[in-house]
Amino acid sequence: MTTAIADPVLEVHDLTVTYRQKPALWDIDFGIPQGVLVGVVGPNGAGKSTLIKAIMDLVPTASGYANCFGQSLDEVRQRVSYVPQRESVDWDFPASALDVVLMGRYGKRGLFRRLSNRDRRVARECLRTVGLEAFADRQIAQLSGGQQQRVFLARALAQEADLYLMDEPFAGVDAATERTTLELLGELRDQGKTIVVVHHDLQTAAEYFDWIVLLNTRLVAYGPKAEVFTPELLQETYGGSLTLLANVSELARKQNLPVRE
Amino acid sequence: MPQWLHLDDPNLWLVLAGTVLVGAASALVGVFAFLRRRALVGDAVAHSVLPGIALAFVVGQSRSLAVLLPGAFISGLLALWSIDAIARNSRIKPDAATGLVLSVFFGTGILLMTWIQRSQGAAQAGLDRFLFGQAAGILPTDLYLFAAVAAFLAVCIAIALKEFRLLSFDPEFARAIGMPFRSLEGLLAVLTVLAVVIGVQTVGVVLMAALLITPAAAARFWTDRLGTMLLLAAGIAAMGSMAGSMVSYAVPRQPTGPWIIVALSALALASMAFAPRRGWLAQRIRLAAYRRKIARENVLKAFWHAAEEQRPEVASVPGAGHPTSPVLSEAQLLERRAFVPRSLRRSMRKLARQGLLQAVQAQPDAVSAAGWQATPEGLRAGARLARIHRLWELYLTEKLRIAPDHVHDDAEAIEHLITPELEAELEAVLDHPERDPHGSAIPRPNGTGSRGKDRTEKPINPKAG
Repeated sequence: MTTAIADPVLEVHDLTVTYRQKPALWDIDFGIPQGVLVGVVGPNGAGKSTLIKAIMDLVPTASGYANCFGQSLDEVRQRVSYVPQRESVDWDFPASALDVVLMGRYGKRGLFRRLSNRDRRVARECLRTVGLEAFADRQIAQLSGGQQQRVFLARALAQEADLYLMDEPFAGVDAATERTTLELLGELRDQGKTIVVVHHDLQTAAEYFDWIVLLNTRLVAYGPKAEVFTPELLQETYGGSLTLLANVSELARKQNLPVRE
Repeated sequence: MPQWLHLDDPNLWLVLAGTVLVGAASALVGVFAFLRRRALVGDAVAHSVLPGIALAFVVGQSRSLAVLLPGAFISGLLALWSIDAIARNSRIKPDAATGLVLSVFFGTGILLMTWIQRSQGAAQAGLDRFLFGQAAGILPTDLYLFAAVAAFLAVCIAIALKEFRLLSFDPEFARAIGMPFRSLEGLLAVLTVLAVVIGVQTVGVVLMAALLITPAAAARFWTDRLGTMLLLAAGIAAMGSMAGSMVSYAVPRQPTGPWIIVALSALALASMAFAPRRGWLAQRIRLAAYRRKIARENVLKAFWHAAEEQRPEVASVPGAGHPTSPVLSEAQLLERRAFVPRSLRRSMRKLARQGLLQAVQAQPDAVSAAGWQATPEGLRAGARLARIHRLWELYLTEKLRIAPDHVHDDAEAIEHLITPELEAELEAVLDHPERDPHGSAIPRPNGTGSRGKDRTEKPINPKAG
């Protein structure tokens, strides 16, 4: 199922990503309009994180491309914010919560430029928004998992972007963080920003997001959740394994051959 | 001033200045190697400069650093690039690639050195020093070179601190915001190789990794700030270098490099042991304080249990009145629980000072003996522990499906750990229960004690009232 989107904020065209020759994503094609909150949903190993990493140019693509605001990412990086998975960094690093949020200002400030007082003000404001103003000087290892996730969220806010790509911001967080995150995403959407969230939990996905991208190595469906959350499409995403596709992938991996010329 | 310390000896000052500059410079780049978990990469680079030094000697036919160090630099950079290329383009993982490059480069270096020794004879004596280092041979011209390299490293790190911080903490995010990731990583690699190249002269290729990593590891114990950590690491390296140089200068026939490493290791061990908060001693003290707190809390709980047994009908029923603490002698307390007598007396003295326990004199009517009694506040603290204990037991049996006869020991430990916030959450999750799995009533937070000033607890749960 595909819907033609006029003036998409995010456009993914024929995107294929391989990992050690094995396709992690096959021919992904979709567009996201402005001002929606999108959940990327699918089973483990469906390539959800790979999809937003490919959009952020963090993994090499075998074919296809992703455009943001009709331009290539390099031209609009200032308007795109990326929130990696919490486990992707070492939280024992010698930094305070404020230090991490300030990293969201690095892109605006530019290479080798010192941060300004305005950067510090914005960073503190973002920490307040996620309810962590009292923890600004706390060493990040001393924060709970949910608080660490909120520090990442505050860093994304500090980027003052228009498109947000978030990798599992709800994974393993406490109820307070879940609530704060959800409220925040709603506010961003109401400000006309577009948010794409990788999400692992099918139950809550229907409640959290306006749009859903159903992914299982290939794109199963995307669109407003009422249209996408059908038993057939969910079955297609989670249920029957695509044996032939998996076998072809496996063949490519075993013989170390590319799936693209 | 001891006889042996000839402070007017210019050679001593040369060695001191040289080793301090080299040590501090290595420590600065070492901090990033340490934080990025690239300690072994530093080791590999250090070993890999050897073939470069040998080849430079063959080509340049000179032992001067101006000829040898460029060779070392190129060889070290080539090694770093090889590790990266192997890890990126083959199925060999980074750790294996590091080991591979280290052994191939180092082996080639040793081979070349042996060959030079055979064919060129005595002239190679000068190359030996790169294996284990020889600080005594520092010349005034070398010192200028060290100072220039150290200053260059410090300035680069000061300018690119923000970038190196992000590169080390979250490389993916650095790339996502469009930082020139590869160039910055390359710059850091060049700085590391520069530090190694001037370092091998004093401590040798074999011990170079320790000069990079040990100061950073020591500094990490003292601070949670990257800027402070850089300064501390440089300071620790300078101290270790000075101490090592002094020893080798004062005692005849002692090598400088190994003594620097010994001094640095001593500083690192001392940091590990005595640093506040992260150090071993601080952790022991924290643990001991927690044990004493547990001992005191167990005393208060014993008084609560005694009060409960005395008047079960009022103990736990909301609004039924306040039980009063019975008077217990030390012997009676020991009967109730296997306290260690000495620690029991210490706990009681502290509880008395905190106003949670009071001594009671023997009554003239001889009905009650001398002993101790919990104050209303003390009793309430005891009740809170019994309450958390029973809530936790209930939680384990109801939510985690653990058999009721297996939950007591767990609760004995958890009751001392739980904060008022967790207590409120526990109560809410269990929907404000009345009895634990063994049928004992769960004391209400407001059901006991006086209505006086609340010193031991925070208001717990508005719904419970």
